[in-house]
Amino acid sequence: MPETPGEKDDVVRVNFQFRRELAEKVEGNLASFCYQCGACVGDCPAATYGDEFNPREIMLKVLYGLGDELLVEDSILWECTNCYNCHERCPQEVKPVEVIISLKNMLADLGIYPDAVEKVIKTFEETGRTTPLSAAVTRQRERFNLPPLPPVPIEEIQKLLEPAPDEGGADPTDG
Amino acid sequence: MRRFAFFPGCLIPVRHPAMEFAIRHTLPRLGIEIVDLEGASCCPDPIYFKSKDKLSWLAVAARNLSLAEDLGLDVFTNCSGCTATLSETYHLLQDESLRAKVNTRLKRIGRQYRGTSRVRHIVTLLRDVAGYDAVRQSVVRPLEGLKVAIHYGCHLLKPSRIMQVDDPNNPTVMEKLVTALGATPVRHRNWYLCCGKACQTEDIPANMMHDLLSTVNDEQADILGMICPTCFGQFDHGQMKVSKQFGEDFHTPPIYYFQLLAFAQGVPYDKLGFERQRFKPQCLRRFEASAAV
Repeated sequence: MPETPGEKDDVVRVNFQFRRELAEKVEGNLASFCYQCGACVGDCPAATYGDEFNPREIMLKVLYGLGDELLVEDSILWECTNCYNCHERCPQEVKPVEVIISLKNMLADLGIYPDAVEKVIKTFEETGRTTPLSAAVTRQRERFNLPPLPPVPIEEIQKLLEPAPDEGGADPTDG
Repeated sequence: MRRFAFFPGCLIPVRHPAMEFAIRHTLPRLGIEIVDLEGASCCPDPIYFKSKDKLSWLAVAARNLSLAEDLGLDVFTNCSGCTATLSETYHLLQDESLRAKVNTRLKRIGRQYRGTSRVRHIVTLLRDVAGYDAVRQSVVRPLEGLKVAIHYGCHLLKPSRIMQVDDPNNPTVMEKLVTALGATPVRHRNWYLCCGKACQTEDIPANMMHDLLSTVNDEQADILGMICPTCFGQFDHGQMKVSKQFGEDFHTPPIYYFQLLAFAQGVPYDKLGFERQRFKPQCLRRFEASAAV
């Protein structure tokens, strides 16, 4: 429908708050350099073998500040295979995969994860490993004459996971 | 002997001890001394935990690297995921303000990251430290006629500016390592594809794996050679799933390169844990008559 003056509600407004929060994440600000050339799409396995995923479109939504379309349950972001082809191909060094991971960090701040992802994160935070040890594992290792696995000093790891007050980006409410 | 700190990660020591056995068996025979790292944790993984909070991910990875710094050694990894995390950390923490943030956290546990230990994928130790000739000379059972389809996986090569392992568009390291064993490397049409493990939907990895396995079948490769335990899982358990889903018979056994190297160096087939794989590389049996250790 053609826009007529006065119908301001049809105008897409850039959500700068979303962009500021994303820029606080490690390498979250890189999308600003995207000029929408689409070099990231051709070699993207998720774009090739799926119907919806398109890294260029995700970068465009970031530029428009359309966080509401990305930061949702069952977000398209989780279709990324983390293959790094887009990082390799981007002429602007946008690193789309890193922007996507920064967006996932924002999802995490909202407490939104797929179940499988949340499970691995929890195992790591509780044990310092992503694959837990068991008696069966110890037996298997002994069979191959491998040394016992040294314990992970989990309290040291957990101390590192607490955000510091002045480092920015860890708390979405401090925007 | 050149000494390197060994960062084994989670998947290989816990799920695939046979791979670790093969590494510990083969490297010392190539002049590389393995120094174990006490107190290491998960790298942390570049898919799940990195998705939660990159800064915490960097802090834990920096702690792991600082353990190798204490020993004054470069660190090597046997998993491409660990390589991704640790190499990216080394790269990102050249940024002073990011390094300061990470060191503020490390101070809580009396540690500091200095950036003095380089990260090496185990494959580069064979190429750059031992050399292809030494690998070839260590072989007592040349695997002549064995066709090995190469799966590079993603994080050995990319991002290439950070990994600095090989040309991501035309890598050669795996082909040369397979050739050094007397075997024939096969580069199939979909050689550059991802294993799909990180993708959190069903269809994309299934369609991709189906396409990839079809081209491997076209080449009539005997085995699929790889250097990442995550890719291995996708090709072992995953290959069965894809066969069932598409009603086709895919059955090329995957094998972690260092187990193939150990076998070529004379370790008996039955000592290499292949019975735990869903697709067993029985085709190696025909070389068993050659010299054994």
